[in-house]
This record gives sequence, structure tokens and C-alpha cells, in this order.
Amino acid sequence: MTTLELNAVKKSFKDDEVLSGLSLSADEGETVVIFGPSGTGKTVLLRLISGIYDPDDGDIRMDGTSMIGIAPEQRGVGMAFQNFALYPHMEASENIASPLHARGGTPAQIAEKVRDIASLLKIDHVLGHRPKELSNGQKQRTALARALVAGPKILLLDDPLRNVDAKLRFEMRLELPRLLREFQSTTLYVTQDYKEAMALGDRIAVLLNGGFAQVATPEDIYRDPVNIEVAKLFGDPTINLIPSSIVSESGHIHIDLAGSRVALSADYGHAAGREIYAGIRPEAIGVSQTPIEDALQVELIAVTPLNERVVMLLHLADGTEFFASSPEDGAADSREHGPAFASINPATLLIFDRESGQRIQPHTP
Amino acid sequence: MANQTPEHATGSRPEVALHLNAVDKFYGDPSNPVVHAVKSFSMAVAQGEIVALLGSSGCGKTSTLRMIAGFETVSRGEINLAGRRIDSLPPAKRNVAMAFEGYSLYPPLTVRDNIAFALKAAKLDQNEVKRKVDHITALLEIESILDKYPSSLSGGQQQRASLARALIRKADLYLLDEPMSQLEPQLRSVLRGRIKNYLIEHGLTSVFVTHDQTEANALADRIAVMEDGVLQQIASPAELKDRPANLFVATFIGEPPMNVFPARLSVNGGHMQVSVEGTETANGFSVDLGQIALSANSALQDGAPVHLGVRPHSVAIGKGENLGILVSNQWLGDQTHVVIETAGQTMVAVSYSRVEEELGAKIAFSIPARAVHIFAEDDGRALLHGAEAVG
Amino acid sequence: MNHTSTAERMLRGILLTLVLLFFLFPIFWIFLMSFQTNEDILRIPPSPFFTPTLENYIALISGKLSTVAGDLDIAFMRNLWNSVLLSSLSVGVALILGVPAAYAFARFKFRLGENIAFTLLSFRFAPPLLVLLPLSLYFSELGLSDTYLGLVWVYQLIALPLILWIVRGYFEDISPDIENAYRIDGHSWAKTFRKIAIPLARPGIAAASLLAFIFCWNNFVFALVLASADKQPVTVGALAFVTASGIQYGQVASAIVLSVTPTLLLALYAQRYLVEGLSLGAVKG
Repeated sequence: MTTLELNAVKKSFKDDEVLSGLSLSADEGETVVIFGPSGTGKTVLLRLISGIYDPDDGDIRMDGTSMIGIAPEQRGVGMAFQNFALYPHMEASENIASPLHARGGTPAQIAEKVRDIASLLKIDHVLGHRPKELSNGQKQRTALARALVAGPKILLLDDPLRNVDAKLRFEMRLELPRLLREFQSTTLYVTQDYKEAMALGDRIAVLLNGGFAQVATPEDIYRDPVNIEVAKLFGDPTINLIPSSIVSESGHIHIDLAGSRVALSADYGHAAGREIYAGIRPEAIGVSQTPIEDALQVELIAVTPLNERVVMLLHLADGTEFFASSPEDGAADSREHGPAFASINPATLLIFDRESGQRIQPHTP
Repeated sequence: MANQTPEHATGSRPEVALHLNAVDKFYGDPSNPVVHAVKSFSMAVAQGEIVALLGSSGCGKTSTLRMIAGFETVSRGEINLAGRRIDSLPPAKRNVAMAFEGYSLYPPLTVRDNIAFALKAAKLDQNEVKRKVDHITALLEIESILDKYPSSLSGGQQQRASLARALIRKADLYLLDEPMSQLEPQLRSVLRGRIKNYLIEHGLTSVFVTHDQTEANALADRIAVMEDGVLQQIASPAELKDRPANLFVATFIGEPPMNVFPARLSVNGGHMQVSVEGTETANGFSVDLGQIALSANSALQDGAPVHLGVRPHSVAIGKGENLGILVSNQWLGDQTHVVIETAGQTMVAVSYSRVEEELGAKIAFSIPARAVHIFAEDDGRALLHGAEAVG
Repeated sequence: MNHTSTAERMLRGILLTLVLLFFLFPIFWIFLMSFQTNEDILRIPPSPFFTPTLENYIALISGKLSTVAGDLDIAFMRNLWNSVLLSSLSVGVALILGVPAAYAFARFKFRLGENIAFTLLSFRFAPPLLVLLPLSLYFSELGLSDTYLGLVWVYQLIALPLILWIVRGYFEDISPDIENAYRIDGHSWAKTFRKIAIPLARPGIAAASLLAFIFCWNNFVFALVLASADKQPVTVGALAFVTASGIQYGQVASAIVLSVTPTLLLALYAQRYLVEGLSLGAVKG
């Protein structure tokens, strides 16, 4: 069942159009991650939904009812802010109880609910502290507890892990899905960390240039991005984009990478002759220093470890830079600067039109 | 606790460029310091070496860097650079180049003049200056902003300009304070490799501060891990990962962090096993380490309580004799992070293929003996690393 | 760089003492004067040695001033009471009007908002005598001359801009997200103002009130022109000590001591807020 629906929502500030007609619908209990680089209007979108701003045009519906002109306090959403926005003059417990006070209930009921959520989020020992006495991690959990405590139908999380350290961020990333499942809220989660987006989203909505470039499951976004910009946002190191063109020669389709050929499936026949970027994910490249068949001749420039993986900087014959990554398997130390062989599985290749940046899909007959 | 003393380092390295000898930093009254930011820090950096100072905020890494640069006085100990004692010299006399995290460009000069400032001051030939500026700015992708003034730049652009200004100079030592903290992630991963190559190509001795271990791993020859003002360990990235000196380093280095369980040793005629006890509702597990050569005074005695550490990447999932419950499963494109509930705790594991089991299902896992780290229960010092002890 | 030598510390101490002496000496001298008879004060050469007397204070409190020319009735205690009443009422009214206005100026960008705010501040720049003449005419028309209401109204020229500008700076310092969060929690706009904005701006409000109180207390011309003896504050009342037989320095001094004491105590009590309020609010605004 659809609980949240955005319909051609527009918002400008002065002459700067931030959101140019966004549409999205989210089902009950679903987590949709709003993902994009900084400055694309992700936070603005959450503020439109919570009622802090009004859209210039379009409609926002919750459970089928339009929210245009409805004050924030009437909307019943829960929201956690990137900067936590805790009430500095209130103890953590009063902070968390705030939405409950607004909704009514006896002091005993409220106290019990606060205790329950605090123990769920492991902050029961700091309930009596003021925000300035809390660590960053505790502040973030308090803000989350406040957003969740009233069991809102719609939960808006504005990059809640941005301001906590890497270890806490990782812990919360693992913990959040369980928490969200428990509360059954429809969640919009804003982040600019692609790992968070993939880990937490049932679907990811990629916000670029004021519109959703793609709304799809993490799997589809990663394996089947609609254009270069989306592809570049997911993966670390980022996807390699090597300029090339599709060549059709006596019925065989291939692309040319600095003089080496990579065979393509015949399904790309329709795009023969087009100027393209070959998008190759670093982990889809196998690198060996002993010759392998059908591999590109490359030069291995540098090997750097990256979180239990090794990232290899390679040069094609014409000096084009690209990266390959592989799990650290002990072979890393033996890899040396010098000639090497890179094998690419053609099935993992993503082909983009060079001019428009759009994906060129294989046409299956 | 540093497992590599300066003496050791000087012995194995050709030429020491920078040497910190038992350096302390107090703030406040020296007899009763308010803050003891750096505690007896010793380190030797070889000519051309790149060293990272890594730690969480407040660990003393920035104080250390600022003492080397001369922006903080040294409370105790000495600092030598290129054969000269420098700890009482003013910053300008130390022949050190520094890139700042914050905004430190000269506001009335364009980016180009900012970068070329030191070269012009050194009366270098015009063409030579231009060549060097072009080279470094292409490397850092700031050619397009050369004629702008600092106030009109974004934080990331200012940071790269500051970096260019430091790297273009000729100095005995290059100090970089969080050199890439303001950059977008995509740019960061590209620049890491380029900056490292530049430093190696030009043989620049450098010390940089970071709180980001990915950056430290990518750039540094050796990483000095600091906590609470104390140098915990200084070693190569691989060594820090494979042979952490103590529990702090073990859990600090590595993403996701190492799993740690309270465990107990059983030693039987040189055959060692480490066991994690189960609870009423969950089974425990144990890892057989095989024959281990032990010295008599070792802390590795039968029945000794220890901490068992295992890195998430080393846990093999979907096979093996132990069973846990899958409670989280997150696919990140090129790897999968899962959480398994076992022995009343959670254990994080990383797999490079997708994990297909449903949440709540039983899942098999195993821990290879080579992947085991054992730490003392009391002070957390490392007692045994599986990769070394197991043949 | 953060070591200070003993010599530096000593030098700092000496300089501080000199500055303190310079500023505190007049107050100290007045304090001494208030315990001397007029004869002692006018002695030549002046001497710090005298027999202390409470006569000045007794005269003030009893309202009987004896001079060589005869006994005079003075209304000093009445004046003191007027000062307290006028200053407190003025600050109270200025708070009721100024705090919501400050909030509006801080939070909402509206047409001419900046101009209105500045106009209000500019009242502080206008020479009071400029407005006094027309005001006194209007006041006698309206029957406001010589009323507390009229004075409190005119005192808004002093108190309102201060409150408005200092408190506005405080409101601007509160992250709007804190208020947004409270409204999203389900609380009305009015409740957000009461429960979040006001408590968080409290130090600023306290500082502004204190300053406004002191400025009102020290005002002279408004009351001189617009009020008669029974409504006048101490600042004007002190004129009574300039008598036919000369200036009663002893009584003037003790009147000053008595009239300064309330504000001094208030200022000492709220010193922390005062400094904070000045540096945070006024500078920003």
C-alpha cells in the first residue's frame, strides 16, 4: 500500500530551481534511500515532506491525503536531522518524549515508551544527560529515538550517520535495518554514502540535477545504471570509463581499448560505429603478471591496499589510466610495477553513449 | 608500546631524515599539566619515507605535527631534521613545507601566485616556475581556478591549492594536515594515487595527519597509530593489519573492525585450542591452532583467559563446522557485509560473493587458524598471531 | 608560546592595578564623601582623614535636609521609588513588545524588515531633546504629561531598541532546525516559541533587560521635562541638592551611593549574562 506519494514536486529558492518536478511513491514499511552528491536538494526534499518548506508546485500525499498547506505539527511524521537538532535545554529523556507529549498520554505511559526505545537504542544510561554531555554517537541515537518513539507512519532520516565516526557509522548501518523493520515506518533515508544507500535501501532514488535519474533496487542500480552519472556514484574505486567505439567487423562486434580488442555480444550490433565510453567496474577486472589469453596488455603502475582489498593503477598502451581491485589474497605483495595482463568479462561491461552519457543497452532479438 | 624503536628503525633504514626523541606536549602549567597531549613520542622517519599519523580526534596527532612544524613548543624531548636540531627554531627556519587543513592561503593573491609564492621568493627562473606550477596543478586538477582568489573557492579547492603550495616548495620535510579531508570521495580516491606517486617520484620525506585509515593505508609507507597521546604502534599497513601490537590497534585498524570475543585457551602438549563459550541459547565455537611452539614463561598457558580476535574478511561463510544465525545481510556491489549471531554475541563477516540465506536462518561459518589473533585479557597486548604461529 | 615568565605576570598585575585605580577612584572618593559633612569635603587642602558621619544618609531617608539657610523638604526616597518603578515597568513593557518582534525579525524575512529594524535602532541615535519639545506638547494635549504611563511610553525609546537588537541576535543564533524538529514532533508554533525559542534566548533576554534597566535608570532629560517632582526619578531628584546656600556635596554623594547601589548589585549579579549578551547579541545584530 502506498503511504507516501510525491507528484511532480517543484521547489526553487530565488531563481535557483532545486527540485524540478519529482515524483516518487513509497509503500508501507519500505525504505527508500534518497542518494546523490551534496547540493542536489536531498535535504530540501525531506523538508518539503515534513512541512518546513512548501513546494512551489506539485502534490505531496500521505495515505492518500494531500499535505499541501498542512502545518508540520499536523503531519505526524518523524524526522532525524543531520546536525541532530536536539533541544539543548532538555535532558535526553525529555528530548525523546517530546513527540509523545504532543500526542498526549499519561506521564507513566510516556516514561515507559521512552525507556523502551532508549534500551532498544542502548542509550538508557544517558537519559538524564543534557545534549552537550552526550557523545556524538549518543546524540545521534537520541535524535533517532526521538524520531521513532511515536511510531510515525512516515520517517524521514536526513543523513543521520554523517556526523559520527567511521566505526559508529558502520555499527549503525548494520543495526538500522532491524530497527526500521520493527517500527514498520515508511522511511526516506538521505545519504551521500553509496554503501549506506546500498545497505539500507529497499530501493534507491538517485537525485541528480533536480530530478530522480533512476529509482530502483540496489542491485539494479549497481548492475544496470541508466547513465554515466549514476554509474560513477556507486563503487569504490569508482567505475573506469574508457573512451572507445563499437566496431562491427564481419559479424563480430568488439570495442577497441588502446589497440586491444574486447569482444562484445552480438546484441550490441545496433550500436555499431557509435562513440562510447566503456564502463568497467574495478572488481570486474582480473589482473595477472603471467600472460593469460584474451587479456589486455597493460602496465601496472602502482598497488595500494584499500580496506582488505588491493587497488591497482594500470595504464593502457596509450597511457589511459584505469583501476582494478581484488580481494587481498596474499598475491598482492608479489605484484610489481611493470607489464601485466588484464582480463575483462564482457558480460560486466557497461556501454555508455559518449555524447549523451546514456546507457546503450544490448538489444536481444 | 611501539614495537619498532627508533634505534631499530635507524638500523634498517638507509638515512634518517626526521627524528623525534621522547617528545612530550603539555598544555597548562608544566608541573601540573591540564592536558598531556603527547606522551614520550619517539619516531624516526627515513629519507623519502611517507609516514601517516593516524588516530581519532584528540589522540595527539595534530599536536605532534604542529610541534614538528614549529607552531607548538616542544614541552620535553628533541626533534632533529636533516641533521639539525630544530625544536627551538622558529617555523620559518626549519625548512619544512606544510599544507593546512583549514584556510591558509594568502587572501590578496590569486591561486597561481599563492602556489608560486615560495618559488618566486627563492628567485627561480620564470619558465621553471611556470613549468612546476603547471605540473602540480594538473596533478591536483586545479588548473581552472589558478586565476581566482581564495575567497571565491570551495573548501576542497582551497585545500588542493594549499597542498600544491606545500608540495611545490623545496624543503627537507613535507607536513600535510588532513590533506584530503574536504574533497569529494570520488576525487579523493583518484588523488591519493597521484599524490603518492608525486611524493615517491620526487623522493619527498613526508609526515601527514589523518583520521581516515583508508587514506593512511593508501598513502603511507608506515603508519603511526596514536591514542591518548601515546604512540601505540608504527609499522607498515600490512604489518598493522597482520600483527597489531595490541587490542587497540587491532580493533582500530581495519574496516569493518575486528571481531573480538572473550575466550579461553586450552593447551595440551603443545597442541593449542582457543574456545569461545556458548550461552544457554547459543552455541559457542572453538578454533584449533594445532601444534604451537611455546616458551615456558609465555602467557599462553592452559586455561588462560584471553581475547580472541578475527577480522571480518577472514571469517568464511556458508561452510564449516560452526552455526550461527544470520541477522543482517548487506550487499554493497563488490562485497557483502553480514552479521552472524553466535555465542551470545554478534560477529561481522565480509564476503566477496552474495550471501543468499534468509535473515534469521542458520548459517555455517568457520574461522581459519591462520586468521586468529590472541590478546592478553588484562592489558590487551598481542600474544599470538595465527598467521605467524600456524605453519 | 603559552609559557609566561614571572616578569610578564608581574607586569600584567601592575598594569591591571593601575587601570583599576583609574576607574574605581571616583567611585571610591564619592563613597568616602558620602560619610563626610559638607565642611569636611570643602576643606582645603582635602584630606582623607575625617570623622565619619551618617548624617547625610539620615537626611535623605527622613526627607529633611538642613542647610545653613534653613530646613528643606526633599523627596529623595520618593524619587528612588520612582526610579525603580519607571525602570522596571519600562523594561517589562519593552520585553512584552520587543521579544516577539525580535523573534519575527530574526526568523522571518519580510519586505522592509531590515529597514524597520534599523529605524527602531535609530531612535537611539536621535538627540532626545529633539523629540522632547513636540512630545511635551502632545503629552499635555493627551493628558499624559506627568503620568507614569507617559514616562514609561517615552522610555521605550531607550529600552525597546536595546531589547530588540540584542535578543534578535540571540534568536538568530538558535539553529532553526531545533525549532523545526519541535514542530515536526507535533507542537504548535506558539508552543515552539514558548518552549524552545524563549528558553534558549534566555541569557540574551536577561542581558538585554539588565542593560535596558540601567539605561532607563540613568535617564535624565525625559523625566526632567515630562514629569513633575512626585514622578521624577533620582537622576532628576538630585537637582534638589543644589540649594540656595550652595551645593550639598555630602548629600549628593550619599544620594549617588544609594541610587547606584541597586543597579550595581544587579549588574554584579548578572555580570556573566551581561558580557555574554553584549558580545553575542549586539555585535551580531
